[in-house]
Amino acid sequence: MTLNDSHLRSEDVNVWFGERHVLKNVSLEFPSNQVTALIGPSGCGKSTFIRTLNRMHELIPSAGFGGKVLLDGEDIYGEGVDPVKVRLKVGMVFQKPNPFPTMTIKENVLSGLKLSGRKSENAIELVETSLRRASIWNEVKDRLNDPAISLSGGQQQRLCIARSLAMDPEVLLMDEPCSALDPGSTRRIEETILELAPQMTIVIVTHNMQQAQRVADQTAFFLAEDGNPGYVVEFGRTEQVFEQPIDPRTNDYVNGHFG
Amino acid sequence: MEKIIDLSPVARPVGRESAPWSRIQLKTRVAVAFASVVPAILGLTVLLLTGIDFMAMLFAVFLPIQVIAAALVGVLVYGRRGVLEGLLVVVTIFCASFIVVLLGSVLWSVIANGSQALSWQFIGQNNYYIKPNTSLEYGGVGHAIIGSLLIVGTSTLVTVPMGLATAVYLTETQGKTKGLIRTLLQAMSGLPSVVSGLFIYAAFIASGITTYAGWTGSLALIPLMLPTVARVSEEALRLVPQELRNGALALGAPAWRAFMLVTLPAARSGMVTAVLLGIARVIGETAPLVLTTFAADRTNLNLFGGAMASLPTYLFGFISMGFDESIQRAWGAALVIMILVAILFTTARLASRTRTTARK
Repeated sequence: MTLNDSHLRSEDVNVWFGERHVLKNVSLEFPSNQVTALIGPSGCGKSTFIRTLNRMHELIPSAGFGGKVLLDGEDIYGEGVDPVKVRLKVGMVFQKPNPFPTMTIKENVLSGLKLSGRKSENAIELVETSLRRASIWNEVKDRLNDPAISLSGGQQQRLCIARSLAMDPEVLLMDEPCSALDPGSTRRIEETILELAPQMTIVIVTHNMQQAQRVADQTAFFLAEDGNPGYVVEFGRTEQVFEQPIDPRTNDYVNGHFG
Repeated sequence: MEKIIDLSPVARPVGRESAPWSRIQLKTRVAVAFASVVPAILGLTVLLLTGIDFMAMLFAVFLPIQVIAAALVGVLVYGRRGVLEGLLVVVTIFCASFIVVLLGSVLWSVIANGSQALSWQFIGQNNYYIKPNTSLEYGGVGHAIIGSLLIVGTSTLVTVPMGLATAVYLTETQGKTKGLIRTLLQAMSGLPSVVSGLFIYAAFIASGITTYAGWTGSLALIPLMLPTVARVSEEALRLVPQELRNGALALGAPAWRAFMLVTLPAARSGMVTAVLLGIARVIGETAPLVLTTFAADRTNLNLFGGAMASLPTYLFGFISMGFDESIQRAWGAALVIMILVAILFTTARLASRTRTTARK
């Protein structure tokens, strides 16, 4: 793994909310077409960190930021960079499924285009490919014009993934995408992640160790101790982090001794 | 061991049998029936025998007996804690019926009195050549309906974008003067309508800029309508979950597109409520219109030329004349306002039903 083939990279990312320092010097590399899992106990800043990767955290009024996030070598926090453009390339799926309730399933898939003011020549085709990539096509192909909220929670989440995929992002961020879902839906989303992995860079926050082991090529372990800002304790290949962790705290966490 | 799965359906028991929790003992039923009927019978008997005032009977005879009866039933059914239960049931039902009766009597007096004046001619014709004691077969409120719609419509067209913009500022932005704006809105909602009318009168009419005109009336209604529209739409926008906004922004939407395509549609029914409450706030306003649009006998379609009639000023004008016929006309106008509001609200509600709910 050389520096140059790195698609997305964070350099000394620091985050503050008001005066509170919540994330300290996080430097991670997310190589192209690999899945990176961010694990760690609640409140360690991993959700905050994933939001810095597409500039969603700056929507919180008191947020502050220091450091660099490089996407294809360009700092997304650089001067004159439009956060809207960044989010077109770096899609995001949230913890709670959030399909747009006033739109149909089809409109939800196409909502990204509409929202970014673009036209699609072959909308019907795009709807099908996106839904297929999120492996939900077979379940919804006969009810594309039903309201999106008529779907089950797991289906809604896969619809949200399809909605992001329709924008053809280079990076897909997933913030605990399965934490509100049942085991069956979780499995289907994990399968989707594995199918997508060869085509894009994926970063996933998860509380589920088994999930990290099942889907991730590499894993970063975050920790925030006693009111100190969160930082990365260990970062490496998933097998190594889980089987031969260097830091004893990683060992304790992945084996369920705390957190 | 082989297990046999029974696939035959189980029939749902008929009626109450399928809802064991709603079973009521016969003893309870009898007690409740007695407690509901006996105080009323006693009260009516006292009323007939002594001939005291109905309200006096209600509060001095019926209510105490009813309270005691309810408390007794409560004890019978639940034991000691039943006393409070019985009392609360009586108080709740009594207060609720009081409000319903009040509202009903207002509605009834307007409908009963107004319907005598109401006719197609009353709705269609204007007030030209009508004297205070002209019989009800002549003249009507047509000009006032048109005037009210024009004046309130113009105010609405101006106020709704302003109120929406205020609500957007208060909910969707990180502006620094939110507190100030909220305070100002609160102060504005306490503004007496006559002051608003006087201000416009002084600024535009007394100063000689214009004569009485419809647009000054619209202007006087705006500060009355704005706080209602702004506050209610703020609440509506606040109810839209933050996740939806984040979802839209994460797809690479500029803030205004995310608002127009996701947040606003999600708040649609609340926004309609905001507009309706705003209209309801001003459609009956009399004082500001008397001072600004004055009154007119003829139909005036020009907001910029001359006095313009409206339903409240028509009502006010005729009720102050004191003839039987003129008071009849005033009741008629009151009924027309109510019908107009009912029509506006129903159409707006039907038109604003979201597609998804409409289809179900």
